Amino acid sequence: MSGLDQALRDQAAGIASGELDPGELLDECLARIEERNPELNAVVATFPEESRRMLEEAPAGPLRGVPVMIKDEWPLPWRAETVGAASVPGVQLKPGESGPYRALRDAGAVLAGVANMHELGSSSTGNTSVYGAAHNPWDLARCPGGSSSGPGAAVAGGLVAGAVGADGLGSVRYPAAYCGLTGLKPTFGRSAMEGHHIANTETIVSGPLCRDAADCRLLASVLFGEELPAAVPRALRIGVIRDPFWEDSAPGVLEACEAALESLRGEVDGEVVEVELPDQDLILPAALLVAQSEEVAHLTPANVNALSPELGLINRSVLKLRAIVPATLTARAFLVRAQVRRNLAELFERVDLLAWPTVPAVAPPLTEPVVELPSGPASADAANARHGVLANLTGVPGVSIPVGLDDGMPVALQLLGAWGSDALLLDAAEALERATDREFVELRPAALA
Amino acid sequence: MEAASAFQNYLQSALETFGIEADEEERAVMAGVWSIYEPGMELLRDVDLDGVQHERRPDLSKAPEG
Repeated sequence: MSGLDQALRDQAAGIASGELDPGELLDECLARIEERNPELNAVVATFPEESRRMLEEAPAGPLRGVPVMIKDEWPLPWRAETVGAASVPGVQLKPGESGPYRALRDAGAVLAGVANMHELGSSSTGNTSVYGAAHNPWDLARCPGGSSSGPGAAVAGGLVAGAVGADGLGSVRYPAAYCGLTGLKPTFGRSAMEGHHIANTETIVSGPLCRDAADCRLLASVLFGEELPAAVPRALRIGVIRDPFWEDSAPGVLEACEAALESLRGEVDGEVVEVELPDQDLILPAALLVAQSEEVAHLTPANVNALSPELGLINRSVLKLRAIVPATLTARAFLVRAQVRRNLAELFERVDLLAWPTVPAVAPPLTEPVVELPSGPASADAANARHGVLANLTGVPGVSIPVGLDDGMPVALQLLGAWGSDALLLDAAEALERATDREFVELRPAALA
Repeated sequence: MEAASAFQNYLQSALETFGIEADEEERAVMAGVWSIYEPGMELLRDVDLDGVQHERRPDLSKAPEG
């Protein structure tokens, strides 16, 4: 097996023990990007000289010499982020040392490239970018998920073993789900975020996308600046909210997630508890409005009238729509957030985890991102957001875990935990891997098998 | 249809009031996007939140106090 196909932690261990040459590993990574990226479009920039300089100067950290990628959402000292867009209204993006860059550098990691993303981070599909859409390695005609489309496609496509994404309304978990990866949305504020162009955010976090939970733990520990200890969880109380998360998921997704839930319950000698969370129907609109309030200050008439014609039609239109959303609605969204956070805190007194499908249907076509649900056809964005935004609205962590295939495409189970329970979520993900003999984290797209 | 019409009226007047330029294609996208989220937005507009207290200095990294 090529060193590049090993787990992130095995690459790090191999380099530390002298079994792997980090220079050869980087060369292999860059060659693989050259070979596979024309199809995947997962990577929008490489910089071999900077990568080699990072390797030469890499300290003896937990990722010394290991190539990784970062989403096009943070500046690097030699490159301003573009957020997948021709321009960002009202914001001047500049090169710089962002928090995730520093965390990776100080851990000894080597940035092999910048990964693609959905334009302005505005969709769960990844089908629009100023660089062109990234493609799902499981089926190049399907969405890789967004907005961290490039990190998802890069790891699933075997270009690197780990990548840093950003999750503002589910944007790490959706591509992890669509691409068959494990993705962690950390508790708000725990992972490195400095330098993000939305400095006032209360919804966006950086988070890892890797092939399994142990690699996510390693990369998350780097982003957190503290080690996330591993433990074997026992007697977990797993809360299940049937309506709408389970009842309105595609049959193949439901079947795989039900099986995974039962496997997890058995492995941790736990119990599955049917629960309810009040105000379900208010969570999505509240999350959308809270998130958009973080950017709306720049949406002046002058700025939105001067939007680049290179910006996609949907984003041009939605930015103008955002500029006129009544303030009353946004103020009420913050009231709902307060209420939902209180309700969720009460719920986490009774259960350790909440579980439901990360997305209610597998990756749709890039050209028509619509999914078929029991309730009827739905925009993939609206359907996915229903499953993803609670974690961002409230600040709690969430993890997406691959649990099977439907129509040849990955299916994923999402677990949410109380604030600060990031390590527990990864413990549970590892328990599920054990219970299923790692069957689903070892699956690879047919083209790469 | 009534709600869509109300939205179209609001869209027209708000864009004009704020001096935001939008062509027909952009207006059609706005209407389409709004129609997806409209039921939730209407619920948010109308739901009784009078008894709900704001969080004082919310810290999203932690459970709410109190």
